[in-house]
Amino acid sequence: MNYALQTLWHERSRFMPGILAVAFSAVLIALQCGLLLGLFSITSIPIDHTRADIWVGSPKVLSVDLGRPIPATHISRIGSDRRVKDTEAYFQSFASWTKPDGGSDLCVVIGSDLNDTCMGSISELTPAMRVLLTQPGSIIVDQDELDRLGVKGLADKAEINRQSVQIVGLVKGLRSLAGPYVFCSRETAKNLLRPVIPTDYLTYYLVKCHKEEDAPILVEEWKKEYPDMAVFTSKQFSLHSQLHWLTKTKAGVAIGYAAILGLLVGMVVTSQTLYAATTASAREYAILLALGIPRWRISGTVLIQSFWVGIIGLFVAYPAVNGFAALAALGGVNVLLPWWLLTGAAGVTMFMAMISGLLALRSVRQIEPMTLLR
Amino acid sequence: MSDDQLALRGLQLSRSYGDGAVRTYALREVTMDLYRGQLVLLMGPSGSGKSTLLAIMSGLLQPDSGQVLVRDGGKLRDMWTMTAREREHYRLRHCGFIFQGYNLFPALSARQQLEIVLRWGGDGLGDVRRRADEMLTLLGLGNKGHLKPSQLSGGEKQRVAIGRALIKNPDFCFADEPTSALDWSSGERVIELLRAAAHERDATILIVSHDHRILPYVDVHFHLEDGRLTEAEIPFAAPMAAEAWRDKP
Repeated sequence: MNYALQTLWHERSRFMPGILAVAFSAVLIALQCGLLLGLFSITSIPIDHTRADIWVGSPKVLSVDLGRPIPATHISRIGSDRRVKDTEAYFQSFASWTKPDGGSDLCVVIGSDLNDTCMGSISELTPAMRVLLTQPGSIIVDQDELDRLGVKGLADKAEINRQSVQIVGLVKGLRSLAGPYVFCSRETAKNLLRPVIPTDYLTYYLVKCHKEEDAPILVEEWKKEYPDMAVFTSKQFSLHSQLHWLTKTKAGVAIGYAAILGLLVGMVVTSQTLYAATTASAREYAILLALGIPRWRISGTVLIQSFWVGIIGLFVAYPAVNGFAALAALGGVNVLLPWWLLTGAAGVTMFMAMISGLLALRSVRQIEPMTLLR
Repeated sequence: MSDDQLALRGLQLSRSYGDGAVRTYALREVTMDLYRGQLVLLMGPSGSGKSTLLAIMSGLLQPDSGQVLVRDGGKLRDMWTMTAREREHYRLRHCGFIFQGYNLFPALSARQQLEIVLRWGGDGLGDVRRRADEMLTLLGLGNKGHLKPSQLSGGEKQRVAIGRALIKNPDFCFADEPTSALDWSSGERVIELLRAAAHERDATILIVSHDHRILPYVDVHFHLEDGRLTEAEIPFAAPMAAEAWRDKP
């Protein structure tokens, strides 16, 4: 076994604060970024929970919920391409929700086709729900938004843009940031959004390609050809929407600041742990220096120890991150932990551990064989 | 002794500590010749400058004035005209050290304490393990190579420390109070090992110690007092003790 690793194992109680500090940093970074992703994934629910390959909207649209009306005639631009399998009109806009008690709030009305092969209907809507939504004025909302909407549940009535609507179904896990999502049929949406979306206009065209891999190519072609409309693949639009909210709300800055603080705390503790461990072995190292062993060998040992402290810290952090994420999920908080986030958090934490090792090298510089003779 | 046998010469070495009115002289123009194959004892009261002289002779401490002449390619060269890297390399090739206390890595086995010197000293290829085992066997620790310091007695730990100093087969070994923490039976064993290293490996061993029981085993005995060196008379028993030791199996 490597001498550095062997020492680390033998003196594990000495190295434990460093390992825990690394784990703390990794957990903090991963959870905070995961929370952020979870939070802003809400903004792209209409994209992520539907099946379109391409979204066509108003030029320079900032986020899926901020789409402005586009002419229905755009269908002629996109529907004729032989790579396109299907197109579908999609309505979405903010609207005024009037509660039964007279109070009002903002909501986001989403109207799409409801047949079995449609693209715009969110996956949480069951066939039975889609049938119920075909009735004019029927809507479905998230059950956790009922309080915000001032209603109690199924069959309750309210008004959207001064038109009566009735709740015919409830879904779960589709809460929104800006205003509660209200899902309905395309016809109902057209009706409710008449004040903001003129006749012969819609918010988005959804496109399904024969081959999914054609989507990015079509997007690039249409972007060049039609500058008066925005074109995204679903993935691009989802990320675009999330990034807009991330930067607009400055939440990313706040979370980043907290993550940097966590990193700094981890770095200081890890560095001090390695420093103390090296100082504790100073006499043994001093003997080796007296014997002519180059100082870089000892520095190398400290750096190898910092590497292993980092690796072990990450092994401690991984189950902790997943455990905390599961706990958060129980409380209704969505923490997203994609592989790239976990890899990134691990990379940043390892970098921090190695920097800690470099900082601890000052202890090696202080070792002098002469001290053994005093 | 002929100059051919001269291994290390300290010439007019002076060293002081402090400044101005509080300056104290640890060494005053000390000259010391060390020859190959000798076990040399340096004695003197506390604060007489013994450790300072050992540090200067071994290249760990620079004298204020004087020279430390070592053989380098057949010629004598002042160690303190070497660069720090050259001096480090010189110590790596030629010097072993034994200090007060054992200073063994708690996490490493006895064998690894020896191996680390070879591996990290750039001599790590090939038969490192065999050399470590041979040294441990020579030290009477053949069956204890796997034990960690906490599982060894004081005498055994000091023997491992000696093994660490001798594993490179150095030309010089500098030992600072190597028996101070040991009972005499263990200390005697340690001195016998150092004497064997001097006589069988043709090494020069310089011991700094207060322990008068070592006297019968040494070849040369220096006495240092107030920073001045005198060559003391070897006790009558020394050659006999040495011969008796040589006859041991």
